[in-house]
Amino acid sequence: MSNSALVDIDSLQISVRLSRTRRLKIVDYASMKINPGEMIGLIGESGSGKTMLCRALIGTLRRRDAYISGGSVMFDGMDLATAKNDVWRQVRGKRIGYVPQSALAGPNPVLTIEAQLLESLGGDETLSRADAKKRAKELLDIVQIRRPDIVMKQYPNQLSGGMKQRVMIACAIALQPELIVADEPTTGLDVTVQAEIMKLLKEIRDQFNTAIILVSHDLPLINDVCDQITVMHAGATVENIASAEIEKSKHPYTIALYKSRIDLAPPRGELITIAGQPPAVGAWQTGCRFNQRCDFVTDACLIGEHPKYIELSATHQTACINHAGIEAKIGSSL
Amino acid sequence: MNTVNEKVNKTAEKGVDNRKVFAYRVGIRFIRSIAVAFWVTVIAFTLIRLAPGDPAQARLGAAAEPEAVEALRKQLGLDVNPLEQFFNFFRGLIKGDMGISLQFDREVTDIIFTALPVTLWLIGFSVLISIFVAIPIALFVATSNNVLIAYIFRSTTAISIALPNFFIALLGILIFSIRYNWAPLLGYTPSFPENLKYLWLPALVNATTLVAILSRVLYSSISDTLKEEFVETGVIRGIKRPRFFWFYILKPSLAPTVVLLSYIMGVMLGTTIIMESIFALPGIGTELITAVISRDYPTVQGITFIFGIIVVFFSFFGDLMAYWLDRRVKF
Repeated sequence: MSNSALVDIDSLQISVRLSRTRRLKIVDYASMKINPGEMIGLIGESGSGKTMLCRALIGTLRRRDAYISGGSVMFDGMDLATAKNDVWRQVRGKRIGYVPQSALAGPNPVLTIEAQLLESLGGDETLSRADAKKRAKELLDIVQIRRPDIVMKQYPNQLSGGMKQRVMIACAIALQPELIVADEPTTGLDVTVQAEIMKLLKEIRDQFNTAIILVSHDLPLINDVCDQITVMHAGATVENIASAEIEKSKHPYTIALYKSRIDLAPPRGELITIAGQPPAVGAWQTGCRFNQRCDFVTDACLIGEHPKYIELSATHQTACINHAGIEAKIGSSL
Repeated sequence: MNTVNEKVNKTAEKGVDNRKVFAYRVGIRFIRSIAVAFWVTVIAFTLIRLAPGDPAQARLGAAAEPEAVEALRKQLGLDVNPLEQFFNFFRGLIKGDMGISLQFDREVTDIIFTALPVTLWLIGFSVLISIFVAIPIALFVATSNNVLIAYIFRSTTAISIALPNFFIALLGILIFSIRYNWAPLLGYTPSFPENLKYLWLPALVNATTLVAILSRVLYSSISDTLKEEFVETGVIRGIKRPRFFWFYILKPSLAPTVVLLSYIMGVMLGTTIIMESIFALPGIGTELITAVISRDYPTVQGITFIFGIIVVFFSFFGDLMAYWLDRRVKF
């Protein structure tokens, strides 16, 4: 399976430059595999390193004074962790598309929608200008924007949030990439529009067999649309599990996330939360970084390095060294 | 398609007649500008009359006979009540006649036509210099991402804003006029491009403060823009350098600077008087000060009216340009 993976992130570390001499490790031990055409959800609390992981995939870490300090990011046989600009020019936008975090700030405010679509198509030198315009309109059709002729001539501030995000998706799929990185694509959108965007992403996956990384902190949403879910906590990936098997999770953090779903709470009843705060970025304790908040903590959890993935099956890896013990304790309570 | 989509797509229909809406807005702004110019005139007319002193008395001197003063008042049209005076002034204004200066026996329009270009040249030249200096500086400092460069930038601009213009002007004269003799000490020729010989030093002095203000505002806008998500998408799209700098960094950042500049240009009409008197330039500011001192009603009214028109025109143009650059700007 690992041979056919489109993306293989292995033990990735990302650090950020705070000053001339100070560095802060913000992602430490992130591993993830994405197969062609797979829709994978990346979930975790704020500050868990989801966005940084995305930036590593699209090569924009340097703009935030961050860099990859260890591990590898293999994309179709190329190591993006050490890639130079010329490699990025071949990959970014062409083979890896990107849908930005905030729909409201994603499109360039001073360019018309048409200009932005043409820019996205600009990576394909074989396309004539007339063909590019035709293609731009097709793209708007694909993302289900009606009256594309009118929308093409408009500026982003004339569009609603949902439409903006559709345009951003159109830009991302312009050159038919093999992978789309969607970093919280529904932040700031109405719930109904959120569902629309998710549906659209899924349709695009089905239509073009594009692999999609969907970043979110909304577990039910991810669970509905993704094939596979990777959970991040405090800069590390802690579990990778098929979304159909989410109830069989073997990591206390995933279990806690799943239990705190709002839709599982009784009407007007108390919401279940995860006790404590995630550790401050970079100020991680020894042992498992979830050990302060875990209900199942053992002495072994408090020492050594943050645990690596333990392979339970082809679609299930967990970073909990005590996964067998958890199973015995909670039994069928989930 | 479903209802959500329909609702979303309705927003698009609203923007169908973009051009018409825009033309309408420009029209409204234009009418409003005229109204503002009118009120500026009314205020100027009233204020100069509220100031103590009498033009006839001022002209004839304190020892003049009361009868002579009264006769001159009649001759100047100051014997009727102020409301009638205003209508007379306004009637003339529509015909393009602003009356005759009480002080020089010259048409006010003639005074304005000879003095205003000097000031406009000076302002235009200062602004041109500042734009060409401020934009590269702001762009360089904001994109360099270097703490030391930012620190030097902030302290130099602070010093430049704090130093009074006349001090820099004297320094400029000392260095460029007296020591190296690169700039004439005083004088003016109205014809272009000979006038640049007289204008370059005052314009440069004016620009020192302007560069500091503009580059600071632009620097903070660019810093904000660089944090925006769409810059990331520009990188992903692989936009080439010059295009990237213009469409992804500068154009989305320029609007506040443009609006501020248009406002400052209006203010400069009044403040260039300092430069005009130091460099002995026969500009409109000098004319206005002399007219105010000698209670030269028609000249003061005429010049303030023109000032009003120009200020309103500048800000109208600044807003229009900001809107053209960045559609997020309300117009």
